[in-house]
Amino acid sequence: MPMKFLLSAAILLTTALLLSGCGDSQDQGNPGSEVANLKVYRHAMDQAPTSLDPVQAANVYANFIVLNAFDTLFSYKYLARPYELKTNLAAAWPEISADGLTYTIRIKQGVHYVDDPAFSGGRGRELVAEDFIYSLKRHFDPASRPQGAWLWSGRIVGLDEWKQAGSDYSAEIAGLRTLDDYTIQIKLIKPYPQLLFTLAMGYSAVVPREAVEHYGREFAIHPVGTGPFRLTSYDTSKVILERNPNFRQEPVDIEFEGYDPQRHGFSGVAAIDGLSPPLVDRLEINFIAEASARWSSFTKGDEVQYASIPNEQVDQVLASKRPVTLKPEYAEKYHFAAGIEAGFVFQTFNMDFPEFGYNEDPQRERRNKALRCAINKAYAWEQRNESFYIGLGKVFPGIIVPVAPEFDTNLSTESITRDLAGAKKLLADHGWTPENLPPLVYGTNSSVTARLMFEQFRAWMKELGYPTEKIILKRFATFGDISKAWKESRLPFVSKGWGLDFPDAENTLQLFYGPNGSPGSNDANYRNPEYDRLYELASTMLSSPQRTEIYHRMNRLLIDDCVSITGLARTRIYLWHKDVIAIPDREIVGGFFLRYVDIADTEQPAITGSVFR
Amino acid sequence: MEILQYSIRKLFSGIPLILGVTLISFVLMVYFGPDKTYELLGKNPTPEEIAEVRSQLGYDQPFVVRYVDYLRELATLDFGNSDSTGERVDALLARTIPVSLALTAPGFVLGNALGILLALFAAYYRSTWVDKTIMASAVIGMSISFLIVIIAFQIIFASSYGLGWFPVRGWSIGSIGDYFSYVAVPTMATVFVALGYNTRFYRSVLVEEMTRDHVRTAKAFGVPPSKLFYKNILKNSLIPIITRIVFSIPLVIISGSLLIESYFGIPGVGKITYDAIISGDQPVLKAVVGLTAILFVLAQLLTDIMYRAVDPRITLK
Repeated sequence: MPMKFLLSAAILLTTALLLSGCGDSQDQGNPGSEVANLKVYRHAMDQAPTSLDPVQAANVYANFIVLNAFDTLFSYKYLARPYELKTNLAAAWPEISADGLTYTIRIKQGVHYVDDPAFSGGRGRELVAEDFIYSLKRHFDPASRPQGAWLWSGRIVGLDEWKQAGSDYSAEIAGLRTLDDYTIQIKLIKPYPQLLFTLAMGYSAVVPREAVEHYGREFAIHPVGTGPFRLTSYDTSKVILERNPNFRQEPVDIEFEGYDPQRHGFSGVAAIDGLSPPLVDRLEINFIAEASARWSSFTKGDEVQYASIPNEQVDQVLASKRPVTLKPEYAEKYHFAAGIEAGFVFQTFNMDFPEFGYNEDPQRERRNKALRCAINKAYAWEQRNESFYIGLGKVFPGIIVPVAPEFDTNLSTESITRDLAGAKKLLADHGWTPENLPPLVYGTNSSVTARLMFEQFRAWMKELGYPTEKIILKRFATFGDISKAWKESRLPFVSKGWGLDFPDAENTLQLFYGPNGSPGSNDANYRNPEYDRLYELASTMLSSPQRTEIYHRMNRLLIDDCVSITGLARTRIYLWHKDVIAIPDREIVGGFFLRYVDIADTEQPAITGSVFR
Repeated sequence: MEILQYSIRKLFSGIPLILGVTLISFVLMVYFGPDKTYELLGKNPTPEEIAEVRSQLGYDQPFVVRYVDYLRELATLDFGNSDSTGERVDALLARTIPVSLALTAPGFVLGNALGILLALFAAYYRSTWVDKTIMASAVIGMSISFLIVIIAFQIIFASSYGLGWFPVRGWSIGSIGDYFSYVAVPTMATVFVALGYNTRFYRSVLVEEMTRDHVRTAKAFGVPPSKLFYKNILKNSLIPIITRIVFSIPLVIISGSLLIESYFGIPGVGKITYDAIISGDQPVLKAVVGLTAILFVLAQLLTDIMYRAVDPRITLK
């Protein structure tokens, strides 16, 4: 009898658990379900964000959701390239004092948060200027586990002191205050030309204090904002957002957004002119790390509507690479866009290692420079491009990326052109022999691709005359581990990628600014007084030909010092179904375009087209 | 009453096992696991910010203090919040375990049931072409990488390049039909691989039982094959079969299936666990490891009780 009872109980428990696993119906977008008639856009990304709290919106994956659930004061025009800022929550462009130190920003009235139990009576209240102050203060409150303080630290009067005094939210900050419910005043310690860019980043999205306090740490999975969408579910496989019914009515002016019939006409985006975003009822962002699964789901037809082409499918899908065109069977079904990423991949020497960088002995330091330059000359960027980036990456000299407005088109390509004979001569001229070359520890992650990249690098170094056993691989299991090694300055040679936070070369030039040395962003620990002087000079200048010239000089200093082997900007190719009216973009802006995505009622004419940035 | 007393004794005797498992796993987490600090920092961190994060993660506490905290969390089943998502760990597991169970249960049941059935055939037709065919198929199933099976089945049964009968991925269940639709391909892939291991194991158990004297005697008395297999062979082979099945249950419940969940976009506990391992999300890992240890103790208890049920000679002492 007890056995039968136990067995029955076990079966009942298992059945109940199974039913609870099935009953969590999060997605009724499939045909035949109650929302089958709604406009649904299903996006795909290769990773999931870990947090939806703006203070932790550190990557593009988080920004895709944060920028749609919350609002920022400024955002980017949908289609204009190079990227152009526009007002978002801000009612107008800020009033900036003559000395460039005081920004007065008026925000829109009548903007309401989505309804949520965090609010009194469950009704979303109006967003006020104080919310922005609170949101920025959170970056200086360790309890929020913030990641964006570096954008404003040392920039705003009293903000760092506020943190040092214990992050008391009731305490006022002289440089960050409200003049009334709809006016914000920011006082800077010194001019900060990139300030408005930072106010378009997910980090600066405005949150309501009562929701943060209501959900505590779980605010990271319960975003409560004023954005065009509101979150309905979030797990490791996808996030579902629904139209925010209270989102302000702001009809799209497609010309203002940068529409160009030549570049964008194929997509049908002209049809959204005059409509008020968001244009779909439901937004699903699927997190699919496996390229094959992502591609299968995309080509299925009734699942995800957007995907990038997996490397292994490139030859199957593309008719040509230069220019990028699709084979007819794909062009018939999908729109596509191809463009260079707003970022790059590169390698740097860690100058704190006396074997390669700075050395107390001036003669050795000169020899080290020759060694770095020889390694740079032996590096075959085009070969790397062909091997790992399907030959579509853009190899460029220096660290000002092609997407940046300050990109130097006249810069010599000598630093990215392989010159093995020159490299060998450089070594010989400076007394380097296979016997006295220092061991080079190459740190990278544990992926197969990373291993192959290392082997390719080692083969190039072997051609240079570097003994194979002296090129040593050090693998790190996780990004956290390799990041720790960078920040603790434990690797002499660093391979990494960087995505622009905003369209200004300052964002990459700061990677080599001396005071940003480890554990800061300057993993190279490059300390060149002239470079630092120029950086500081440019850091307070508004965009101008003079500032661009300073940027170019800094770029050349880096190239001359052979501190970095750079660089390559990857080309992204996106495909989307033809019933989707959109120009997708995951660079810088992260996910601003999603509010403009529409779904055609009937299939669009099969026009083939592409967008090139 | 006998079962209750035995259960209480057994649960107490399981405490050293739980302490051992948690201690070893916690040593691995603390000294060999990923450092979460640098995933939680901004792009340009200061030493002060690094210290703040380490303090929040408890990395600045002595090992003993952290381990005692772990035991307290396990005793109260309060593991706090995930260091990655901020979600409460109990809510996270309550959300994902049922999904994993719903996903893996059909494959688990079918894999074992079909494994036993095929093993019976193979054992009955031992050394004939039937046996050899089944065993060869089992070896093939065992030899192919699970990853390859998943990708192949996804393409064959779900993608537009294949039959396209089922969704490529997702877990959007509004009806029992949806459930079968989403679980079909993962189940087929699971069964394909599990069947090889199960069939070989069960066949060896059954063959061993078939050589026993009582089976030979029953055969000599002319017991029909079906009755012989059910009553004299299968029933007497239940001890190792129960052991294998019951001890698999904790892994089915807690671990889910990482590959299946990743490739089919199913929000189960397997993916959560994998993410926690590679990112060093200790609150989640502590919960998964601790609960798995507890489940193994319970599985051991359940196994003993079931032994008693299938073999009256066994006493619970």
